[in-house]
Amino acid sequence: MKPAGYLITLSVVLILNFFIPRLMPGDPFTFLSSDPDGVTIVYTPEQIEKFKGYYGMDKPLTEQFISYFSNLVSGDIGYSIYYNDDVIDVIASRALWTISLIIISLSLAGIAGIITGAISAWFRDHLIDRLLYSFMILFSEIPAFITAIILLFAGGAWLGWFPLSGGATPFRGYTSGWDKISDIAMHAVLPVTALVFARLGEFYLLARSSMITVLSKDYIRTAKGKGLLKRRIIFIHALKNAAPPVVTRIFISLGTVFGGAILVENVFRYPGAGFLLREAVLVRDYPLIQGLFLFVAVSVLIMNFTADMLYGKFDPRVRVS
Amino acid sequence: MNLPADKFKGKFQKTIYLTCNSFSVQGIGAIIVIVAVSTAALLAGLITVHPSNLPSGAPFTPPCVEHFLGTDDLGIDIWSQIVYGGRTSIYVGIGTALLAGVAGALAGIAAGYFGGHTERLIMRLTDIMIILPDLPLLILVGAFFGPGINNIILVLALFSWTHPARIVRSKVISIKEENYIKAAVSFGAGFRHILLRHFLPGVMPLLSVSVIRLTGRAIVAEAGLAFLGLGDPLSKSWGLILNHAINFRGIYFTPFWKWWLMTPLIAITLLVFAIALVARDLEKKINTKGVIS
Repeated sequence: MKPAGYLITLSVVLILNFFIPRLMPGDPFTFLSSDPDGVTIVYTPEQIEKFKGYYGMDKPLTEQFISYFSNLVSGDIGYSIYYNDDVIDVIASRALWTISLIIISLSLAGIAGIITGAISAWFRDHLIDRLLYSFMILFSEIPAFITAIILLFAGGAWLGWFPLSGGATPFRGYTSGWDKISDIAMHAVLPVTALVFARLGEFYLLARSSMITVLSKDYIRTAKGKGLLKRRIIFIHALKNAAPPVVTRIFISLGTVFGGAILVENVFRYPGAGFLLREAVLVRDYPLIQGLFLFVAVSVLIMNFTADMLYGKFDPRVRVS
Repeated sequence: MNLPADKFKGKFQKTIYLTCNSFSVQGIGAIIVIVAVSTAALLAGLITVHPSNLPSGAPFTPPCVEHFLGTDDLGIDIWSQIVYGGRTSIYVGIGTALLAGVAGALAGIAAGYFGGHTERLIMRLTDIMIILPDLPLLILVGAFFGPGINNIILVLALFSWTHPARIVRSKVISIKEENYIKAAVSFGAGFRHILLRHFLPGVMPLLSVSVIRLTGRAIVAEAGLAFLGLGDPLSKSWGLILNHAINFRGIYFTPFWKWWLMTPLIAITLLVFAIALVARDLEKKINTKGVIS
């Protein structure tokens, strides 16, 4: 997409974020929590007046939009009712957990997908290819949060190898930096695995098919004719040309992975933005819900945009067209 | 075996024969699963004894003759919950897929046939929808508009129409260049005629595979939303059962998860697998033959 496309998408996000609370049927502030485990909140008339003032709902729509927009530009995306703090600060305290979860699992899934795809393409129609293929097809259909629940019960509860929940052991005095890192890593193993499994099949299928196309090219035949090692042909000659589609797909799937991470975080009570989102929904902290939506949408847009810009550098064919 | 299909007496036998011939072994298994789940959901009242929303036994009864999938923390029969939950899941899946399929087909045909500004606008829209993260927006809408089942279908469809739209558009563009369309146009065929006689039959195979895939995706998405506590509390779905089970304190340290958590998990996985297998078989058939016979 061109930069203009991103600008349009960004405006769509901002407009949605502005209009959804205002299009809501009935009165937003008397809406009762429907979650059986949730905290049921009933606002008093004074509170409702306060919130209406907060949203500026007593003013005309155009004026509301202008103040919403100018607040956004100055970095003010709202005030969290529940946490009693600026939304942007609440999100910032959690964002790093989610972003690292996503980056680590996407890179691992991409690498694993490319390697297994290459193996499968090289041994095309052999037993190993067929096994991998059917296994991956099956796995690509299981959503991340189902895998996460299974992993939680297998690796956490049944085997007891990994901690059940959280991002780090609470109130644990770390003896060294290494101790801290390993504690955080142990907590991240299961969520990351769940997210990797959810994406692996897709990357594998793509890597396999693009590898098969590349392997039939003349320069691969030349390489084989020169008597180069199989390993070298696959990992040096073929991979360079088969990897770009997978890299593109990794960035395209960012939005979906964010969705997957939100659910997976809630399975493991991982302290990231996804878990925060559920908390915000439970206590009906509307400014926080909106802020989180904005955060996710803008991060996805920025990452996609960066990828588009970088992609031309890696693949000259894109630059020409 | 390559018997001509008209050797069969009844229409039913012919259908069975054609189905067996078109699908792989897994595909046939998958169809059986889908038919079984849909029948169970349709006939929910006939195959359940206990209500799905009221206690009918002691809490945490393990599977037994009376409650053959056990009961949950309130003593509600889990088999009944699964059967009635299937209704919700399938309703959301099919509702979303049909809505998105129709909207996507219309958008795709409009983009492919009219070209120009219409096409640019529609394609730009699909670009935007693909980049936008769907789950956060679903949550935003769910939180503000209330978690009604029809809201969920609407928003899911809003995010799903792009896939059929793109497929239909490229198919329509390729059909448009065929000589028989040019011939039809030169004989004075209007848009309506070409749409009904040529475009729709041409895009139907690909469109139906896309709709089947969307059904599976919508079921998963609804389960995810319900798992977060944003499902419709009035129509209990598989995701909502999961939500209750996993939020029960100490579920890991009790044997309850074996029947309370595993059953909805297996139900979702089985149905989603089955739908994916059927879609894959159909896709293979279209790729090799070009049409579904």
